[in-house]
Amino acid sequence: MSFSCRREAAYRSRCTIRHFVPAGQQRKPLALRSISWSPAIVVRPPDRSFRGIDAPPRVNAIFEFLFKYSPVMYSRGTLTFAAGIPGWPLLLAAPLAVLGVAVWSYRRAGGALRLGDRLLLGSMRALALALLAFCLLRPMLAVSTAIPQRNVVGVVVDDSKSMRIVDRDSLSRARRVLELVGSADSALVRALAERFQIRFFRTSGAGGRTSDLAGLQFDASRTRLIPALTQAEDELAGAPVAGLVLLSDGADNSSTVVGEPGLAEQLLALRARGIPVYAVGIGSEELARDLEVARLDVPHAVLKDGAMSVEVIVTQRGYAGRKVPVVVEDGGRIVGSREVTLPRDGEAVVTRIRIPTSERGARAISVRVPVQPGEMVAENNERRTLVDVRDRREKILYIEGEPRFELKFLRRAVENDANLQVVTLLRSAKDKFLRLSVDDSVELASGFPRAREELFAYRAIVLGSIEAGFFTLDQLRMLSDFVSVRGGGLLALGGRSSLAEGGYEGTPLADVLPVDLSGPPRDTTTADEVALSPTAAGLLHPAMQLAGTDSGTAERWRTMPHLTMVNGVGRPKPGTTVLLEGKLSDSATTRARLPVFSFERFGRGKSAVFAVQDSWLWQMAEEVPIEDLSHETFWKQVLRWLVSDVPDRLEVIAPDESGPGEGIVVRAAVSDAAYLRANGASVQVTVNGGSPIPLEWAADRDGEYRTTVVPDGEGVQELRVRTVIGRDTLVSEPAYVRVASPMAEFFGAAMRPGLLRQVAEETGGRYYDAGDAMRLAKDIVYSASGATVVERHDLWDMPAIFLVLLAALATEWWWRRRRGLA
Amino acid sequence: MGRSVRRLLMLLIAVPTLADAQGGRRRGRMSGIPSDWQGYVQSGDLNDITNPPYDGRFTFLRIRFEPDGGGGFGFRVDRKWDHDTPRAELHFMKILSELTTIRPFMNGGTILPFDSAELFRYPIAYVSEPGFWSMSDKERTGLQAYVAKGGFLIFDDFGGEHWYNFERRWQEAFPALKIVPLDLSNPIFDAFFRIESLDFSHPYFGMKSEFYGAYEDNDPKKRLVMIANFNNDIGDYMEFSDEGWLPISLTNEAYKLAVNYVVYAMTH
Repeated sequence: MSFSCRREAAYRSRCTIRHFVPAGQQRKPLALRSISWSPAIVVRPPDRSFRGIDAPPRVNAIFEFLFKYSPVMYSRGTLTFAAGIPGWPLLLAAPLAVLGVAVWSYRRAGGALRLGDRLLLGSMRALALALLAFCLLRPMLAVSTAIPQRNVVGVVVDDSKSMRIVDRDSLSRARRVLELVGSADSALVRALAERFQIRFFRTSGAGGRTSDLAGLQFDASRTRLIPALTQAEDELAGAPVAGLVLLSDGADNSSTVVGEPGLAEQLLALRARGIPVYAVGIGSEELARDLEVARLDVPHAVLKDGAMSVEVIVTQRGYAGRKVPVVVEDGGRIVGSREVTLPRDGEAVVTRIRIPTSERGARAISVRVPVQPGEMVAENNERRTLVDVRDRREKILYIEGEPRFELKFLRRAVENDANLQVVTLLRSAKDKFLRLSVDDSVELASGFPRAREELFAYRAIVLGSIEAGFFTLDQLRMLSDFVSVRGGGLLALGGRSSLAEGGYEGTPLADVLPVDLSGPPRDTTTADEVALSPTAAGLLHPAMQLAGTDSGTAERWRTMPHLTMVNGVGRPKPGTTVLLEGKLSDSATTRARLPVFSFERFGRGKSAVFAVQDSWLWQMAEEVPIEDLSHETFWKQVLRWLVSDVPDRLEVIAPDESGPGEGIVVRAAVSDAAYLRANGASVQVTVNGGSPIPLEWAADRDGEYRTTVVPDGEGVQELRVRTVIGRDTLVSEPAYVRVASPMAEFFGAAMRPGLLRQVAEETGGRYYDAGDAMRLAKDIVYSASGATVVERHDLWDMPAIFLVLLAALATEWWWRRRRGLA
Repeated sequence: MGRSVRRLLMLLIAVPTLADAQGGRRRGRMSGIPSDWQGYVQSGDLNDITNPPYDGRFTFLRIRFEPDGGGGFGFRVDRKWDHDTPRAELHFMKILSELTTIRPFMNGGTILPFDSAELFRYPIAYVSEPGFWSMSDKERTGLQAYVAKGGFLIFDDFGGEHWYNFERRWQEAFPALKIVPLDLSNPIFDAFFRIESLDFSHPYFGMKSEFYGAYEDNDPKKRLVMIANFNNDIGDYMEFSDEGWLPISLTNEAYKLAVNYVVYAMTH
């Protein structure tokens, strides 16, 4: 009788066993073929190099017949020899001896055999001798094996709503789980109970132990697999845990909750615990008949009295070719609709619907497609989100170096937009300025701002035809910081004193702008006529939508009048998105496609170049009908886009939706007047005008404050943050959170084995399809976790060795006969 | 004596005299006129007009029309709309270029009728002698579109009874747009220069100048779509500004008005 124990690989940091259990005390005799312990030769295959463990059952069965043991045993075990010969001399001497005998035995045959014959016969004999030698060394497979009834296995059951889906064999996923583990008589429970003590856990809530699986309601509105596994491990702390068995459809949606760590982070923490997870995928990887609003993209906040684009992605299976309407509702009122033709199975169709933003406040936008006959999941035919429609006047500073029609028509295009205030500083003569749309007599009274606080009060800047030399170096740096630090929008227009022709090359703004300014300035005494066409990105961009439909927008752009350019606009920088390309009318340069309208993200903000000098021709040109609003629409949208997502000094970050009773993580970013993040502010949040709740400074990020609030009741909650910083008191724009039962469970509702596989592989466990789950009970025996002993299994008598030996000897005999030697 | 009668009497005396004076000066003075323009100035043949190609710069646009009535300058037809051209444009563009940051087309201007497709590339238009202005249906349609899209008109060089024709033609084109008198409080008189007084008089006949305009949608909060220098002739002041023919102080005021009109039209 002997005892053994083994430490698992180094990465399993919690592996500290361990129990030393006499083999004879096992309830059932162990198949211990050897109880000797020889450290002489340990050839350990890499854990995951043997891919057979994931092979189909039939392949596994053949493998087990040939090699005597299952692939899992080989993947977990190590090869040892029981003959007691020291390892390194054996490794050196055995091949030489075998080769020597083989060569010597055929050397005597002399000239009767050709070299090729001798090589073949020698090889066959060497192979046979090598196999015999291998068997004489008594090879053994040493595998850590769980000690019967000394280990615990935790069975974690996903009891979320998605488990109610009936997607295979007319059985719901929940029913399939209960068949496997629902009672003491269930197949998997019986198999596991032979060697392990079993504890049951659920995933709902924060996870936790349950004793009544049959009583599970499967009504949890979120699936948090990894926290549930972590919770189970916590509850099993102190016990020898052989592993966790997870039964789930893999539809984890914990990452949709703002404030929770991402899956990768959660996985890392789980892996560090070193307990293998054996995951069983429940459900079908493809729903046979389903229509789903897979994605709904809308801006987080928009200005009132405009339009926004609602981008919808619909996926389907089983209804290819069918035409269905995609309906957009705002607070229950239909505001847009588009008919789409469903694509082939598994493919997505994308559609964009423009809807008006005519009412301020939190708008409950929902998109739905009608439920089709025979659909397996009806709940995923509708998606909802909140859009904050803001009614506030966004100040844009337009600095122009010369009176020109571009100024007049740009201002005219947006003059009836109550949400845009284009404050204009026009240099009408040397040192003479005309101010338009200023708030009071003080604003811009000293010309272009010289202080950051003054410049950063604007949310966007339009640079007209004004040379770089007009600005001081400090002002140019401020303009650069306006984009990168303040997060504002900057738009440079074409003109005789713009871009490279305005001397901006080598200035701080050259880095900010999305096009290369390094070329030689162009001669601005002539102009090039340019035909414009939107790029693919341009056709989708909110600033470029000139009609209610994509095709209408494309058609309108096709017929827009040609404009002129006086700037030799350079190539777009990496990361730049080109929205409009220009083709020069000059036949010698027709191949050139100029980036006429392009933008890039720069730091916290965005910068754009619109390199033509006379977009007003889109308004004035003879071929443009009087009632055409393309010019107005374009500029309203461009300026609204320019100020979109521009941060305030006080920004509130909260999720769009939350489940009832769930905590809402509220974060606030506070900046001073120069938009430098400010620590040490006093920050409070109110929910629906209730009592203020203080936010604590998050030490890991400058200027960020956090707290968690749990609203009472359901419905749209208004969060308003107030801060006192220095002598300033700031109140944020309201942030809205919809508290309702989350529907995330029904989106992407097909079984997703990816995460389950990843969890299993990262923790050293395995993934099984539901139909193959019974193998789990056998494989978990060889878990390296928990209380284990090392079992040694003889390998010399595996059929594969016998077959190869037979083949080698038979081949040698047959070849000798052919050559007349036998 | 009523205002209309006074205007009529003055016109009866003034117009032939003025026409003769202008014709005589035109014949003798070709120096400084770009070669593109000399053919037309000498012949009066419309085919000799050479408009510059559009290049985005501010270019003085003079409106061409078929004069309704009027006479001739001896050897050639008096087209009315071409009074003071191209010297007024040449001088004005030079002044505009020197005083402001506008970089205009310096070689004169361009001449187009209201029914030209090219008209819409020049959002400020100058109409001389609207007392003789007439329009075809096509020209009227072009004018209506021009103003509706954002064009701005300067009517100049008319007085006395010329008003009636101007008013009639305007109402034909814009029956809903009222012509209203303007005073110093209007932003157009503070667009570049602060005009201190509107106490002008006609350069030849001494009649007190009056300024009229029309607002977009008849809303004084919106932009002016046109300004009319009634009993005035800033074109003449500009044409002869290099000769001392007219008083320098008045010429200065005429330039101030013209500059203001252009800056206003480029910003409103």
